Amino acid sequence: MATPRTHPKVRPYVLTGGRTVTRHRLLVHTLVTVPYYDPGLAAAMLPEARTLYEQARDGCSVAELSALSGLSLGVTRVIVSDLAAAQRVRVHAETYGSPFDRRLLERVRDGLRALA
Amino acid sequence: MPHILIVGAGQSGLQLGLNLLAAGMDVTIMSARTPEEIRGGSPTSTQCMFQPALQIERDLGLNFWEEQCPKLTAQRYNLGLPPDGYPDARQTTGEAAPPWLRTEVTPFTRAIRFTGPWEHYTQSVDQRIKMSSWLAEFENRGGTVIYQGVMTSDLDSLTALGRYDLTIVAAGKGELVGLFDRDASRSPYDRPQRALSCIYTRGMTFDPEYQDWAVSFANIAGVGEFFNMPGLTVDGDGMQPCNILLFAGFPEGPLGFHAWRERLSPTEHLDRIVRAMREYVPWEADLAGDIEITDPRPSLIGGYTPTVRHPIGHLPSGGLVLGMGDVVVANDPITGQGANNAAHSAHIYARHIIDNADGRYDEAWMQATFDDYWNYAKHPTVFTNAMLGQEPPEHVGRILAAAQAGHEAGKPVIAARIAYGYTTPSDLGWMLDPDEANKYLAEVAPEFATPAPANP
Amino acid sequence: MVSAHSPEHSTTTAKIVVAGGFGAGKTTLVSAISEIPPINTEAWMTTAGTLDDPLEPDSDKSTTTVAMDFGRRTLADDLVLYLFGTPGQQRFWPMWDDLCRGASGALVLVDTRHLDRSFAAVNYFENDSTVPFVVGVNMFHGEQTHRLDAVRQALSLHESVPLCAFDARDRAQVAGALVGVVEHSMARTARPAPPRPMAPALR
Repeated sequence: MATPRTHPKVRPYVLTGGRTVTRHRLLVHTLVTVPYYDPGLAAAMLPEARTLYEQARDGCSVAELSALSGLSLGVTRVIVSDLAAAQRVRVHAETYGSPFDRRLLERVRDGLRALA
Repeated sequence: MPHILIVGAGQSGLQLGLNLLAAGMDVTIMSARTPEEIRGGSPTSTQCMFQPALQIERDLGLNFWEEQCPKLTAQRYNLGLPPDGYPDARQTTGEAAPPWLRTEVTPFTRAIRFTGPWEHYTQSVDQRIKMSSWLAEFENRGGTVIYQGVMTSDLDSLTALGRYDLTIVAAGKGELVGLFDRDASRSPYDRPQRALSCIYTRGMTFDPEYQDWAVSFANIAGVGEFFNMPGLTVDGDGMQPCNILLFAGFPEGPLGFHAWRERLSPTEHLDRIVRAMREYVPWEADLAGDIEITDPRPSLIGGYTPTVRHPIGHLPSGGLVLGMGDVVVANDPITGQGANNAAHSAHIYARHIIDNADGRYDEAWMQATFDDYWNYAKHPTVFTNAMLGQEPPEHVGRILAAAQAGHEAGKPVIAARIAYGYTTPSDLGWMLDPDEANKYLAEVAPEFATPAPANP
Repeated sequence: MVSAHSPEHSTTTAKIVVAGGFGAGKTTLVSAISEIPPINTEAWMTTAGTLDDPLEPDSDKSTTTVAMDFGRRTLADDLVLYLFGTPGQQRFWPMWDDLCRGASGALVLVDTRHLDRSFAAVNYFENDSTVPFVVGVNMFHGEQTHRLDAVRQALSLHESVPLCAFDARDRAQVAGALVGVVEHSMARTARPAPPRPMAPALR
């Protein structure tokens, strides 16, 4: 019996301009945390992954992870991406949908005003 | 299952990534830009794709826009001459003034014209549409995308990490090409040979004689080339047909680099393109009465040095990376081979990677993979570099005259073979070599088979 | 570190990019407001190879090291602002895109003695980025050598781009300039008000 041939749909992406993937992008200021620290797992990791895993326990941005671990941004993103796929670290979504969300901008403005 | 890292998300990188993903491999693509940024940015190419490259996309199920995109059924050739005949290029010294800096503008005349029909159509889908969608598609099909403008320092640590069995560099426009040594024996030029000025437009009408979609191009004596390529481009969140207009100017000619130095708004750029069309290709300007830009970023201005590079990059920590697409073979756009080369290189590399899935991707394998691609790419490379001369060789003049005679007689045999040669450059030997040309002309147009006696 | 031991406790991070030519004061600005010593990536990527001579940007076969600065300021229990300085050389443009992605605004610093060094940054934000930007004149030693309108003219700056002057060493002044950046982003990205049931009367 012939297998029906599936024809891939035109991606709605181009029509909506919206993102179709829910995976979070690893921007330099994206927050990474460890939801449940597993020392046994850490001990079994390759050195670079282990360094990042330990570092992310405190919760910090991708750029800080890279700097504090002494790993390039590219390597940091590859490993964090792998760890996130295995649910060993959590990549935090942006709280607001856009960096220009009014509520976000107002909060940043007010915080900065307190310093001025 | 091999783990493959591809740096670069253009025609070759994404096509390879999607191909390997379909073969069940673990593939990561590093892209300097997100789909939104690609789609909202400036065009990257004119990306005409001929039948063999389109068939590669069809076979991979990636021809998402085949029905919406204008189908170009022929290649129209024109030769434009100044009113007082063929200019002696040696008479011009220094930089000639572009039309908008002169008070006197005399339209060129069309000395030769013919149409070569294609058996299978050509299409040009704006890479802003294609790459943004393919990138999202790659991620949706389970590929890993990391948004990162990769620098050599990243590549060094990425290869040292041992995470990937093979790292491919498919980003031809950044600093990474510096990792690959220029192959002087295959690179006759050391600087850009054409100043490129391209704009995406809508509102061009059909040539009244044909009323269909076709590529139209012109050799303009003493100036360069002009191309009018219908395609599919962005339209806000949607898509629209367009005409992609490109002038390729001789560096010292009136449309050389000096003509495009100023920063222009898109409408100023279009205005200058139209003024140049009125002088150099007035038959095209006649179709451009209601022309306008397609989007806020419709322009692409620049130039490329045609370069062939050695395919293997050595990183300080000992890692090896394999170059692909225009990283290793970059041709001038005047023959429209770039996107086709990219598609063929990704196709050939994919086959080698899949065939070697149980082996090691070592230096010998890398060289053999590139060599296989070069067996294809040498043809468009030699063809394109030959076309970069500023005056056609004597035998090419006879080929053009013979093609026009055939066109007028309703038998466009030569025109069709030229058009076919663009799609399959390995067939072009007859046009590049004077003896081969004479042999072929003796068969199909004997009256053009020998050079006219030189004037005393 | 950001307090996030409880994974469900959600901290919001925001980012402002600080651009400008070599020596315009990007590192000084980030130091003035950061609660951590600014991190300079040159210091942590040197294992990758040698640093390129910035005077030879096109030298072939180079392993380049990207230099960027960043700092951090906690603005509330659950809100952290990151400041990223862009690497000076233009060939690092992929890095610029990376740093600007998701930024809430940008501040282009200029040194009036070397206005030309900031042309590339102004061009980038005018033409290649959607991040709203403000231009800030760094008053070295508290002095301003050019009038602001002269600076605007020299940079061919569009009237819609705000221009301010401040001392990048002074925390309060830097905070004030960043308030200006955020306010400009608010103005630039303000959505039109939802349609009202009745057309407003002419005033």
